Amino acid sequence: MTSEPVLEVRDLVTHFKSVERGKVVRAVDGVSIALMPGEIVGLVGESGCGKSTLGRSIVGLERPTSGCILLDGCDLAGLRGRDLRTTRRAIQYVFQDPYASLNDRQTVGEAITEALVIKGLRDRAAQGRRVAELLDQVGLPASLSDRYARELSGGQRQRVAIARSLAVDPRILICDEPVSALDLSVRAQVMNLILELRRELGVACLFIAHDLALVRQAASRVYVMYLGRVVETGASQELYRNPRHPYTQALLASIPSADPRTERARRAPPIIGDIPSPTDPPSGCRFRTRCPIAIESCADDSPEMVDVAPAHSAACLFAGGEIAKSLAPDG
Amino acid sequence: MTVVAAHPLLAVEDLVIDLFTAREVVRPVDKVSYGLDHGETLAIVGESGSGKTVMNLAPLGLMPVGVAISLHGRVSFDGCDLVGLRQADLRALCGKSIGVIFQDPMSALNPARTIGRQIAEVTELHLGHSAAQAEARALELIKLVGISDPEARMAQYPHELSGGLRQRVMIAISIAAEPKLLIADEPTTALDVTVQAQVLALLKDLQARLDMALVLITHDIGVVAGCASRVAVMYAGRVVEYGPVDRVLVDPQHPYTRSLIDAIPRPDDEVGAPFRGLPGAPPELAGPVPGCAFAPRCALAVTSCSTDRPALVETGRGGVMAACPVVEQACPPGGAI
Repeated sequence: MTSEPVLEVRDLVTHFKSVERGKVVRAVDGVSIALMPGEIVGLVGESGCGKSTLGRSIVGLERPTSGCILLDGCDLAGLRGRDLRTTRRAIQYVFQDPYASLNDRQTVGEAITEALVIKGLRDRAAQGRRVAELLDQVGLPASLSDRYARELSGGQRQRVAIARSLAVDPRILICDEPVSALDLSVRAQVMNLILELRRELGVACLFIAHDLALVRQAASRVYVMYLGRVVETGASQELYRNPRHPYTQALLASIPSADPRTERARRAPPIIGDIPSPTDPPSGCRFRTRCPIAIESCADDSPEMVDVAPAHSAACLFAGGEIAKSLAPDG
Repeated sequence: MTVVAAHPLLAVEDLVIDLFTAREVVRPVDKVSYGLDHGETLAIVGESGSGKTVMNLAPLGLMPVGVAISLHGRVSFDGCDLVGLRQADLRALCGKSIGVIFQDPMSALNPARTIGRQIAEVTELHLGHSAAQAEARALELIKLVGISDPEARMAQYPHELSGGLRQRVMIAISIAAEPKLLIADEPTTALDVTVQAQVLALLKDLQARLDMALVLITHDIGVVAGCASRVAVMYAGRVVEYGPVDRVLVDPQHPYTRSLIDAIPRPDDEVGAPFRGLPGAPPELAGPVPGCAFAPRCALAVTSCSTDRPALVETGRGGVMAACPVVEQACPPGGAI
């Protein structure tokens, strides 16, 4: 690749103290990811896999235990106070639930202006112009700035939340399930807005979602997380067409189809049980307790990420060979 | 009405529900008719606010405390009209002949009681079991819904279980008295796809074993395709399309159903290609809409759409009914029925 990543996360670990004394929740346990300028990258996995904690650690909503976060090659851990806040402004977070992320007692204009003030824009008239501009950018009329958030629909609220995050001219948006709280018929509108922002402003986006079909269409690359680790990554078309990790295969096979004929041909659920507790992850490969092809040696060592194709790697003993293909539930 | 005549277990006819809130009167369900046979699965699909949940829970008296409602029309279950039934009679029915699975098991389960007790309670109340009998039955049910290590689970509290296990407990409670009808309100929405696949497989299996009818309320078309034989698509409190799943999902007639199905991303969609969807947003709940509620977002709408309410009529395509005059004109009746 010619250009340098705008965001690079190396070996990030975020642990929490568990309510059980002396135990540690290993929410993120050694994750490395990279985001190129203007790229949309998907981050998928079941709830509890650590994908949101990873996103929150990147923007500083959680304190990482170890590892580095490099913004344009500059390690955020080396910065303190005002420098850190100013630098980190380049990364903004869009939350899942626009009903919770906006203050019902603020008008749309006030919510966005708050962000403008933080950026140092104090001139009232200029603020008003910028609010109108930002609203226009997310496809809302400027007249909306006098309305209270509670008067808006879910789709409108999420657009306002996005406008607010754009107010500080970010280079990276971390979108955490940005459409899963929205009605089916308005999801496409917000997804298209994210695609448009990438195209027009060159904003890179880490798109955290559990809806694999949305990610396939939006993201050029995908990271699949399981229990605090990345288990597979690759260009999204290649990864969806040819998943190598049994977990990715199971995730993809679990997506229900809208076609009754496909559904009727469906075999037994691809994997059983729930994701284990991150306080006590299985030894070796963390997926082995639910894996249809696990063997004894999977309990010994945590498998390394190996290249299975150009720009496609997976952390499974079998990822390189034919065994995974022949034993996987839906190949 | 043709919609309901042939369905002996549940027949809903011209159901209208008005909801009185502190400030206004809204009509979440506006003249809806549908029916269900013994052992059959009907999926009810709609977005939030389409009335799909209220329509199923209000006739059972399951509304939040403090919400006043008025019901009109007929909801006949196993020969008994639920509209106008006393609360006490409804209670005797709910949990016994009609089981309900709620979307969020964490808020539906009692956090201060063990799993075993919560299941046993149902059989004590509805089947008159003694404490010991109920306990034994609860253990059986925990095994039936596929929970591992059943003896230990009996003594656990909801917060100790994962989302998937909690939903299995919810299912065990809902089928404890072997109901004839199970109403599942978004049973897998709070779950991951991997767990969703397991819970749906369990529901299908139980339905066949216990010969239950199932009403599956969902916003996810993928869930419909795998589970239901018939589907009712709702928009703004009305059924806009109704018919066999094989027809409605493969060859949708109503413009709303068409765009819902069209909006699902397909494997051959290019990376970065625009997402297909609908303009605008679903209407706010309010008083009765004079015309078709979908008209403002509909690409095919004609002037009469905003003034005349389209009736749900046969399209002439394999028993599919749709409430859209434009579609009706486009494919006149007389085709394969």
